[in-house]
Amino acid sequence: MLPRRGPRGSKREGSPFTGLGPVFMKEFADHLSSARMMVLMLFVIVFGAFPVAASLQQLRTVTEQDSYLFLRIFTSAPESLPISFVFALNFIIPIMAIGLGFDAVNSEFNRRTLSRVLSQPIYRDALLLGKFLGGLATLAVALAALWLIVFGAGLLLLGLPPRGVEVARGACFLLAAIAYGGVWLAASLLFSVIFRSTATSALCALGLWLFFFLLWPMIASAITIGFAPSQIHSAEQYLAVEQLGLVLARFSPGTLFSEAVVGLLNPETRTFASMLPAQMRGVIPGAPLPLDQSLILIWPQITGLIAGMIVVFAAAYVIFQREEVRA
Amino acid sequence: MRRLITLLALLVAPFAASQAFAADLPVMQGLFLLTDYPAQTVRAGEISTIRIKMQNSGLAPEAMALSLSGVPSGWKIDILGGGQPVASAMPGQNESVGLQLRVEVPKDAKPGSQQVVLSAKGSRLQSAELPLTLTVGTEAPAKLSLKSRLPSLRGTPRSAFEYSVTVGNDSGRDLTVALSAQGPANFQTTFTEGFGSNEISSIPIEAGQTKDIKIKVTPPRDVKAGDYPVLVKVAAEGATADLRVTLQISGQGRLALSTKDGRLSGEAEIGKASTYTLVLNNDGTAAVDEIEMAGTVPTNWKVEFNPKTIASLAPNEKREVQVMVTPADKAIAGDYVGSFRATARGESSVADFRITVTTSTLWGLAGIGIIAVALLVLLGAVARFGRR
Repeated sequence: MLPRRGPRGSKREGSPFTGLGPVFMKEFADHLSSARMMVLMLFVIVFGAFPVAASLQQLRTVTEQDSYLFLRIFTSAPESLPISFVFALNFIIPIMAIGLGFDAVNSEFNRRTLSRVLSQPIYRDALLLGKFLGGLATLAVALAALWLIVFGAGLLLLGLPPRGVEVARGACFLLAAIAYGGVWLAASLLFSVIFRSTATSALCALGLWLFFFLLWPMIASAITIGFAPSQIHSAEQYLAVEQLGLVLARFSPGTLFSEAVVGLLNPETRTFASMLPAQMRGVIPGAPLPLDQSLILIWPQITGLIAGMIVVFAAAYVIFQREEVRA
Repeated sequence: MRRLITLLALLVAPFAASQAFAADLPVMQGLFLLTDYPAQTVRAGEISTIRIKMQNSGLAPEAMALSLSGVPSGWKIDILGGGQPVASAMPGQNESVGLQLRVEVPKDAKPGSQQVVLSAKGSRLQSAELPLTLTVGTEAPAKLSLKSRLPSLRGTPRSAFEYSVTVGNDSGRDLTVALSAQGPANFQTTFTEGFGSNEISSIPIEAGQTKDIKIKVTPPRDVKAGDYPVLVKVAAEGATADLRVTLQISGQGRLALSTKDGRLSGEAEIGKASTYTLVLNNDGTAAVDEIEMAGTVPTNWKVEFNPKTIASLAPNEKREVQVMVTPADKAIAGDYVGSFRATARGESSVADFRITVTTSTLWGLAGIGIIAVALLVLLGAVARFGRR
């Protein structure tokens, strides 16, 4: 990057990525060997294993033909345990990401190691990005391991190899899960930059998660009802109200993630809203969409997750750059 | 005056005659042995049956012992009553008893007449005799006849041609008649009894009787228009009879709508026209005129045919039809079913087409743009706030 003039007139020199490599490797290694990571992994495996085991048990009794049987491991919610693997992931991933990121910066503050690190030839840019990427890589490794376990269990217990398109859809699902984790990792990183106390940071991150997970759906539906006309006269009016509810719900990353997953793992999904009777005519029910059409369908959701991750990280970056680090 | 007397005489005469006849009837008392044909022909080496009736007119019933005399040597004649050999018969007053003579003629019997007398004797001096003349003759050949009321029928390749024919046994013996028919290749013929539904290959016919049978001819579906003869043959013991029936088959066109390679699916992008090539084939036997193309597609979709109408399609002729389908602007990606139809008078063919609707990738590019904007914000932050 070319040298530029900063706001305080100081010259910026060198690439902001200098020292990114060591910070990333150190963070990655620290995460993988930490006791916290072990606990999180255990948590994830236990929460993931139950729905997978239950859905596999149910799938083994399925006799009807299903060309996407392998993907049903992820999405089927057996009667004995009314949560699917995907639903479990929907709330495990934020907890994992928050657990990995809530003390990323402020613990260095509290241990008084931040100024020591920054006295090395490492810029603040690289430190924050390295910490974020280290967390994201850890998350990716954990999710990929979990994904492989599920696929392996499916191979063993169903005794049928997944088709190429199923593997491709599964891989896209893994990428969506990592992007979803990235949003929450960036958010927890933001709180760790804002608050000096790790406890406050963790509390705020978990509070935000609880807000989106529990409160936001209710608020969104309350707003939708408030805006809806007292009497709905036509299908178009109903669709408009439904559309408003969907737009509001999509502010929550969890909604974006679950919609992306539904589009990917249920190939029959054509739309997330209702279809007008006119649009329903001639539809072949249950016909799966090709993968590229499914990707186009969920592309806004994926885009939203990735863009949200980048924007939240940018906010954390701006705040971190303006902070006093000497202590 | 003379004329009047003649007229009166003419009027009176029949009355006098009939009164005299009625007065004669009660006089006919007695016991009689009767047969329709007292002189018959029998064949060497064969068994003939002669029906005889013992009539009792106005006498008290009495057991009548039966006996035969004059039976030539080597011949065997049994007296049967009710199917069993009997030795005597007892008809009631003014009643009759049926008897049969079973005549078994030896193979080496010489031609010529033989006199056989059947006599019945009662215990009270009543008796009756019946002389029979049996002539050993040469064998009369079996003879069959075959007639049809409607020997020529008209229809399409898909109609059923049913001919009613009457088979007659004109010989003196019961015959089992074998039925067969010869038609052009791949024409199927079946025989059924007059009103029955069972398929038969032969039918027994008593001597001198006729029977109605039905012949059903099924032509192959792809038969060309024209006249087709079918030769019906009946045969029994060397006797045959045949009859020629005719099928006048008029042609019928048949439409078949498909594509060149038989694939009935295609892709279409939302809001854009996609063209598929259909192939219309006439695999019938006559030309189909004034064919109109039409299509049923989901709401707000557009469908156009080129050509929209076809004036005439000869048998075995193929014609390509372009169909242009435009999904509605608000259609949702996925699989839809549309059906294309070719309709002519009395003939139509439908092809169901599976259309995979795809969305344009334009919105995908917009998403990438949003990510690019987010990255630009980050780069701006780096440039603005970066500390080196």
